[in-house]
Amino acid sequence: MTTSTPQTDREEKRKAWQKRALLLLFLGPALILSLSIIVYPIINTVIRSFTDPATGGFSLMHYEYLFTNRIAVADIWYTLWITVITVALSVFIAYLLALYLRFSGSRIAKFIGTMYLLPRFIPGLVAVYAMKVVISDSGLINRLTLLLPEASALYNLKPGLLFNPRGIILMNLWFNIPFATMIIVAALSGISDSIIESARDVGAGRARIFLQMIVPLSIRDVMIAMTFIFMSNISSFTTPYLIGENFPQMLGVFLRKQFSNRAYERAAAISVLIFLFSSVSAIVYIYTNLKEKEWEKG
Amino acid sequence: MSQTVVRPPQIRRALGKKRAGGLAILFAFMLFFYGPLLYMFILAFANSYNFPAIMPNEFGFMWWDYVFKQPNTLVSITNSFLFAVCSTALSFVICIPAAYALARFQFTGRKLVMFLFLLGNAFPKIGMYTSMGIIFYKVGLMGTFMGVLLIHMLGTMMQMIWLPAGAFRSVPRHLEEAARDAGAGPLRTFFKVTLPVAWPGIAVALLYAFIGSLGESVGTLFVGLPQWRTMMTEMYGVILDFPATAGAVFALLLIIPNFVLLLLMRKYIGAETMAKGFKMS
Repeated sequence: MTTSTPQTDREEKRKAWQKRALLLLFLGPALILSLSIIVYPIINTVIRSFTDPATGGFSLMHYEYLFTNRIAVADIWYTLWITVITVALSVFIAYLLALYLRFSGSRIAKFIGTMYLLPRFIPGLVAVYAMKVVISDSGLINRLTLLLPEASALYNLKPGLLFNPRGIILMNLWFNIPFATMIIVAALSGISDSIIESARDVGAGRARIFLQMIVPLSIRDVMIAMTFIFMSNISSFTTPYLIGENFPQMLGVFLRKQFSNRAYERAAAISVLIFLFSSVSAIVYIYTNLKEKEWEKG
Repeated sequence: MSQTVVRPPQIRRALGKKRAGGLAILFAFMLFFYGPLLYMFILAFANSYNFPAIMPNEFGFMWWDYVFKQPNTLVSITNSFLFAVCSTALSFVICIPAAYALARFQFTGRKLVMFLFLLGNAFPKIGMYTSMGIIFYKVGLMGTFMGVLLIHMLGTMMQMIWLPAGAFRSVPRHLEEAARDAGAGPLRTFFKVTLPVAWPGIAVALLYAFIGSLGESVGTLFVGLPQWRTMMTEMYGVILDFPATAGAVFALLLIIPNFVLLLLMRKYIGAETMAKGFKMS
């Protein structure tokens, strides 16, 4: 330790300034970018959603439209309904698949364990197209049923999955089951075999081990998976745009329509609504990342 | 363990049932997740695929010719790679220093800075694109190269901050200190020690940024069309208007870059870590 002389004081101050200048140099460009393409647009959107385009003054007209207009209300309910079903079905199936992947040591399980990661690298548009070729009314399924005897009930089956909610939900399952499985498998891998064995040793049955051990230890990650699936499906665009119907439409397609009609204030209000619907997952995402980064630091 | 171990019949039956269950799961899984993709690949090489044939009546490259003769195909491929290269390179230059600062410096307001960066990933992209588009309209960036580039950078930026920050943090400090003790300046230490050790993490981030930009569709559709078309925005039209076989060709074109890049990068990462880091939604 040096004694505090005017000279070392000045030296330290210079060092502190140097560090601050360096930080500014390092962080400045990225901060400017994030302020201009993330923060400012979000704030601007919130303000615009409360603006009367004619006068530029404050107005609730766009929210009034969203919650009273027949089409808008139908679209909002339709979106919520499809999203909730998607979340429930994909998490349910993913949980079963994850249980199988975690607790069956078979080679088949290991094989599926590598194969389920791949769909995440397939662009969404491509997946929708591939599914469409199979499930359209003159697609593969229909052609296969033409091979059956004519008397058969399934002969010339038209799946009827395009341009209705069933097709959208089916496609959503394709996208979300791998993601949910990945999160749940990670949670289940955290439960060690020895804990389960010791529970079995003291006489716990399969059902009890499942309900009192496996479920409580994985429920947190299941909830996280649910919030993220909710967020990505409440705002989905590509699937409903390509295989959805004309009315009702999902919010993403409705938003696109308003945006390309240059009804920017109304588009802003729909965006704010989507932001609100995804606020839970946004908070989870930001909170866990800030916390984990803090924890890693040590 | 040898195959010839004699098992009591009940055990054998139970094992058989288990295997049958596993096979059923495997069958359903492959059918749902890979069946449609596989079928589409086959259709891409069909010259004719008439109702009610299940397999193409004739194989060939006829529809590849057709797709490449479309005036927009080559333009859109060029644009896709142009945006991917530019957005990845620019966000590399802008975000790597920020990632390093977040990993190595303690300062007041660090949490706030992290919060500002996290915000870009926290909300659905379609809302973010609309928000950007509203401003672009005001400042005349709609339908411009710069506008589309910024849309792509929203995604690439996130990749180039968090993964590299983690990579920098995992570089042992004593390595850097040893280099400094041996007389290397800060810049030399960074380029000779820190960067090489952190490189695998940064390479993964570059890969994800690039693939993410190639796959960006909604934002480009909102802001770029009709002046700037990419392969992804073309695909919307292809799905709605082209014959099934031509659509399959185009879809295959969209997957090829991802798989080439993934194969090239395999030495850096296992499949699992790769998929885990890959951004959702």
